[in-house]
Amino acid sequence: MKDEKTLAFINFYAILGALSELCRLDKGAAALIADKRISVGISVKDGPCGTLLFEKGECRVLQGVGSVNIRLPFSSCAKFNGMIDGTVTPIPSKGFTKISFLTKQFTMLTDMLTRYLRPREEDLADPDFFRISTYLTFYVVSEAISQIGNHDAIGKASASYIVDGTAKLAIGEELGAAVVAKDHCLTTVHAMPDRFFSYMIFEDLALANDLFAGRVNSVACVGMGRIRIGGMISQVDNINRILDRVSLYLA
Amino acid sequence: MFKINDYTKSREAFLRAEKVIPSGIYGHQGPTEGCYVPVEAFPLFSERAQGSYFWDVDGNRFIDYMCGYGPNILGYNDPDVDAAAAAQRKLEDCVTIPGTKMIEFAELLVDTVHSADWAFFAKNGNDVTTMAVMVSRAYTHRKKIVFFKGYYHGISPWTQKIDYAGVTPEDVSNNIYLDWNDADALARTFDENKGQIAAVIAQPYMHNNFMDNTLPEKDFWQKARKLCTENDTVLIIDDVRAGFRLDLAGSDHYFGFEADLICFCKALANGYNVSALCGKNFLKNAASSLSYTGSYWLSSVPFAAGIACLNKLKALNCPQLLIEKGTRLKEGLIAAAAKYGFDLRVTGVPSLFYLRIADDPSLMLHQEWIAECVKRGVFFTNHHNHFINASLTDEDIAETVAVAEEAFSVVRDRHS
Repeated sequence: MKDEKTLAFINFYAILGALSELCRLDKGAAALIADKRISVGISVKDGPCGTLLFEKGECRVLQGVGSVNIRLPFSSCAKFNGMIDGTVTPIPSKGFTKISFLTKQFTMLTDMLTRYLRPREEDLADPDFFRISTYLTFYVVSEAISQIGNHDAIGKASASYIVDGTAKLAIGEELGAAVVAKDHCLTTVHAMPDRFFSYMIFEDLALANDLFAGRVNSVACVGMGRIRIGGMISQVDNINRILDRVSLYLA
Repeated sequence: MFKINDYTKSREAFLRAEKVIPSGIYGHQGPTEGCYVPVEAFPLFSERAQGSYFWDVDGNRFIDYMCGYGPNILGYNDPDVDAAAAAQRKLEDCVTIPGTKMIEFAELLVDTVHSADWAFFAKNGNDVTTMAVMVSRAYTHRKKIVFFKGYYHGISPWTQKIDYAGVTPEDVSNNIYLDWNDADALARTFDENKGQIAAVIAQPYMHNNFMDNTLPEKDFWQKARKLCTENDTVLIIDDVRAGFRLDLAGSDHYFGFEADLICFCKALANGYNVSALCGKNFLKNAASSLSYTGSYWLSSVPFAAGIACLNKLKALNCPQLLIEKGTRLKEGLIAAAAKYGFDLRVTGVPSLFYLRIADDPSLMLHQEWIAECVKRGVFFTNHHNHFINASLTDEDIAETVAVAEEAFSVVRDRHS
């Protein structure tokens, strides 16, 4: 069962957080905000609170909401989740003069992101699109692992079995992330870690894409050597249980 | 220099398997749960077995320290057990009504196992751990079960964790999890759940994965036994893994206490398919009251094998024999490790020893060493306890230590 609070944290840190990666990977996305400097603060009651800063073609996610150009308050996690799935129209409490950013560039960015995260088969035939789509999905999935491990009741049970240390998640040598466990609290660092306590490495982008889409079985892939696991395997075993719940939230 | 194994046919077989079997090989005997790191170092399919060895489909021979994850206690294809099974098979096996071999086997268990007044038969360890919990609930009319973290009691939903696929929160809602060896926590738990705890279930000592195996602290079991008795709670010992490798009278007997229910499987019939729940008289009516049965549970061939196996275990004084062999191996492996500057920890009872190279807490170094051993024909696993069988010879132990030493030298060269 999905929990609205967990979904809100995923929507903020994994989905909106992926806008930073989108702007890095897609020149068209970066161009949309090339001459902008605008901050959007999002505060969700009993949920995430952070700022999206769009500046010179880049997007960054900052903790908390300070002095921002646009402030979007949400009275509940469900309302915020409604904005993400398009069923709730946000009402700014500040920044009425800048609202066109939300209706134009921001909406265009999120539409682009959706296209990459829910790709059509014909789009995936384009190697560049395929690469960006897989990169962004990896970003979302690796971030969602920490959010689920920290907020979802069953995810927290999995996190409670994860010993301290860094688990490396990677696609070959090309792309990596670290899930850092400390006192059963998880943090995703979106960079390949140099030192790690355990690892789960997918053979290549094609395999990662197939796994994220549910087209191949991860256990069989371990048997075929297409997924490598090692080190403190109990860490990646429990992360894998959280990974099972990622598809529940992102479906 | 030992030959390095080639596994071409194993790989081909796995690709076939993966097409028609979920995961290719599911469960603990597969490369994922078996923690085959890297998978290329390990055979995936066997072809034949004899004594302490199995041969894979590529013809590689292995000295096998997993023993089928426990069932092989006398040696694969033990002639006495096989002869008893063959003789019984000529008469009958799975028939409409049971044969009297069942009675004979139950009588032998009651005579052998210290805390047993009766025996109930099934097929797998999980069948009898589940029955033990049901008997406890039937007898006490209570719901809650106390476990010790790091446990393994089978694969039914009640034995799994809340985050496992296919398990619902309701399946595990009556489970209470405590730290191993914490008698004070057990006492507190009884106080906090007065009249609600049906059973305490535990393995005789903690033989969990990824961690050194831990024996019970002094008086832990005696305190636990006393608390269970005072609270009218059933004490279940899951002796599926350790059974008959510590003490033929049961591992509770080995540690100086009495279980109310004790579960056996693995070593019970040297690979023939039977498990047993043994219990005390006061729980016999509760056991009778259950609706609990299976198509193959009363088959006679495994009973005949079990009788022959238990009699041979007694004749050999097998637990002592296995502990002595395990001790010789342990000493050899530790010395081989030390020669190359590695701190190899060998924990648990030597007849089911657990290995860990302590120099690297991430266990990657350990995984490298295990891989080098397996590639040279000694089948260890990375993070599960191992098993000794009675057919293991001094020559096998010497060969194992030599392989281990070469493997240590390879790992040392790689990291020097």
